[in-house]
Amino acid sequence: MPTDNRRIQGPEISTPYCVFGSSTENEDEDGCFKSTDPLSSTRKDGRALLEHRKIYMKTGVVSQAKGSAYIELNNTKVICSVFDPREIPNRVEYSQHGELFCVLKFAPFSCTTRRSHQQDAEEKELSLNLKRALEPAVCRHEFPNFQVDIYVLILESDGGSLAASITCAGLALADAHVPMYDLVTAASLGVAGDVLMKDPSEEEEKLCSQHFERSNLNHGLITVSLMGAHTQITQVWQTGSMTTTCVSESLTHLIQSCEETYPIAQRCLVKSVVDTISKKKVPEQS
Amino acid sequence: MQNIKIRLASERVNTSLTFGEEGAPHLYTPGETITDNQRVMSGHGTYMDEENKEVLKASVAGTVERVNQLICVRPIKCRYMGEIGDVVVGRITEVQQKRWKVETNARLDSVLLISSVNLPGGELRRRSAEDEQMMRKYLQEGDLVSAEVQSVFSDGSLSLHTRSLKYGKLSQGVLVKVPPSLILRRKNHFHNLLCGASVILGNNGLIWIYPTSPEDDSGVGGFTQNLEQVIDKEDRERIARLRNCILSISASKLMLFDSSIQYAFEESLNYSIKELLTPEVMLDVAFRTRHRLQAYKDS
Amino acid sequence: MVKSTSYLFFFISFGNFLSVYFIFQNDLRNDGRSKQDYRPIELELDIVTHANGSARVRLANTDILVGVKTEIDVPTSNRPEEGKIEFFVDCSANATPEFEGKGGQDLATEIGNYLGSSFASPLSFDLKPLCILKGVQCWKLYVDILILECGGNLFDAVSLAVKAALYNTMVPRVETVAMDGGNVDLQLSGDPFDCWRLDITNIPCLVTLTKIGEHLIVDPTAEEEECSMASLVVAVTESGRINSLCKTSVGSLHPQTLTDALKVGVEVGVGLNKALNEALGREEKRLQSNKPERFGFLK
Repeated sequence: MPTDNRRIQGPEISTPYCVFGSSTENEDEDGCFKSTDPLSSTRKDGRALLEHRKIYMKTGVVSQAKGSAYIELNNTKVICSVFDPREIPNRVEYSQHGELFCVLKFAPFSCTTRRSHQQDAEEKELSLNLKRALEPAVCRHEFPNFQVDIYVLILESDGGSLAASITCAGLALADAHVPMYDLVTAASLGVAGDVLMKDPSEEEEKLCSQHFERSNLNHGLITVSLMGAHTQITQVWQTGSMTTTCVSESLTHLIQSCEETYPIAQRCLVKSVVDTISKKKVPEQS
Repeated sequence: MQNIKIRLASERVNTSLTFGEEGAPHLYTPGETITDNQRVMSGHGTYMDEENKEVLKASVAGTVERVNQLICVRPIKCRYMGEIGDVVVGRITEVQQKRWKVETNARLDSVLLISSVNLPGGELRRRSAEDEQMMRKYLQEGDLVSAEVQSVFSDGSLSLHTRSLKYGKLSQGVLVKVPPSLILRRKNHFHNLLCGASVILGNNGLIWIYPTSPEDDSGVGGFTQNLEQVIDKEDRERIARLRNCILSISASKLMLFDSSIQYAFEESLNYSIKELLTPEVMLDVAFRTRHRLQAYKDS
Repeated sequence: MVKSTSYLFFFISFGNFLSVYFIFQNDLRNDGRSKQDYRPIELELDIVTHANGSARVRLANTDILVGVKTEIDVPTSNRPEEGKIEFFVDCSANATPEFEGKGGQDLATEIGNYLGSSFASPLSFDLKPLCILKGVQCWKLYVDILILECGGNLFDAVSLAVKAALYNTMVPRVETVAMDGGNVDLQLSGDPFDCWRLDITNIPCLVTLTKIGEHLIVDPTAEEEECSMASLVVAVTESGRINSLCKTSVGSLHPQTLTDALKVGVEVGVGLNKALNEALGREEKRLQSNKPERFGFLK
């Protein structure tokens, strides 16, 4: 792992203190699981199992970028900026399709443990997933031999980071007037045993990625991104272990929540256009 | 339901057929002395020793070919070295001014000049500026063509022509690649095989297999591509079988020409098409084919 | 072996697209396989002396060599009871010139990441037995994957090789562990054959499903991959559970296609696991015999 000499790294090895509170955490897990019991069917934050968090979206938050967007799902906050297409650097051969260059980064203070300034393996994996999710939606043949830079910064992470990043980047691309076939919206879902939880929080995600030794239960996380108008899945990413029926059931739920998010994104874009027009009109009137 | 079988390395078969002692030619390795006879001429694949000017040595591994005083070593596995009159199959890689670049498995890209193709509208038409602008309409990047070598440039690159109705753009079929040295030089490289499909055996090691068209024997010629026509299942099965047969006999280094391919096809009929992908069956087909060829030669 | 299909200097584009595409109808591919057939697979275990476990898998032209090394490490503080496993993929320029320099890096990270996520669940591979002393010492498995030749369908071949290599891995037995002040004193068994093996029952095999036109196929060749619209990789265990799922190429899928693909993928994956287990059993029997031969790249 190359180190960046210009940055002060802090102590070489340090451990976040929250790891050592593990004995209480274990009880917490059980508590969390109980609260997600299908009988009670409410979660810690008071949502029903299949209830998505409230979403807030805004475009044009970064004035210097060609297009930008901000999305907030309770404590998950993501900002994304898109820059003008530029020639693909260090490339000799001509490529017929434009490329998307995606960088996804967690802010150092975004998670319970501190993230490094450099992209780690997880961030690289998420970046690739982000790229795969956006590629089918962009009319890449319209800017051959060019690349569009997409930078996603996760300011605060409380579960569903990838889904939020995809939706956010999709909005930012649209805001940057990059030609697109359709808007992309994404959603995530957690599976713990027989319980399906839409849009899990960080704590719930952790619970889903662990396996309960009591039985051979399903567990895991799925993220799906969808082009709403074409009903085409642009990316699907699942981890954990599940049966086929469980996966298909989750997919149905996920597609439904993607479709629910779609009009919100549409309205957000329309609003930004209306805003620009009305702003332009003001000086004429005066 | 699929049936996947994983074999072990210990069960691996050796695909080369041993030819017995008497027929085996001597193989030279680079640096090996061929002759110290001063009167010979040094050809491809050989060099004169710097210190000892009389000694001729091989620079590639292969068999010696001798034409009068000229000595060449022909390597077993090499890129295609073109000769005038050869039939080749190639792929357009670039459209340039007045010419197409064609990838033919030769050491350098070959060219197909617009002046050496038959444009629609007759033999003796002048090439106009419009024709040059229309070049991509006739042939574009990625298209496959059959052609003949018209001349060889001093750097070894080839100039092709398609001035006969049998050459031209290829439409539906399958491309197979084999080492160019396995293609036997024949008068005719276009064959309508008895088994019901046609092949173009390019001297450059690229073989094009396509369904035999019922109406004419002019082959594929021209710049038309009929992509709408749906080829029925029997034809496709025959083509797939031929493809696998050609690969089996080329894996065992048997020469490829119309009768060896036809024999291989006939011998392969005991097996299903996908069985022909397994090494044992490939070897068996090659073995039987060689046997048939031998029997034919002896009779 | 003649490399007839992996021909690097060709732009596999429109021309080939058609030849693959048209041959597709009626469940018959270019090489005679049906949509759900694999090409011949060959397996060999224990071919690297210095690795704790190794395997080589050849899937037609795709050639993968995997070596597993075990080393002692300190467990991470948030998982003190577990060992570690890490995957490193090396797309060497040996495979294709495209991998030269940083060319293969993206593909390598993609494969490595995906393997990591398919092994992430304790239901795929349990890391607890790799712990030596809770919070202090554990085994770390370095799984190094070399791609020697690239003839399409890397994911499936890599996963087969990884599973086989882990099956072959011998972890030395630790006899005593003593804490001496802050230092840990490990006593390994004196007998080099006193080892224990990993439980590979639930390790998934990856199945790539490629969509060409309206068809979903498994085990795509390099040409078929070039023509694909979208492909999906599913990690399937022996019992038919899905342990990971990801779309790997440009392009999108209709939800219905996705569910169909999952069904096919699971079915094929179960078969693949079964075939691998059967082959591993046979290979193990061979290795148990006295003086088992190593074949590697010979014969």
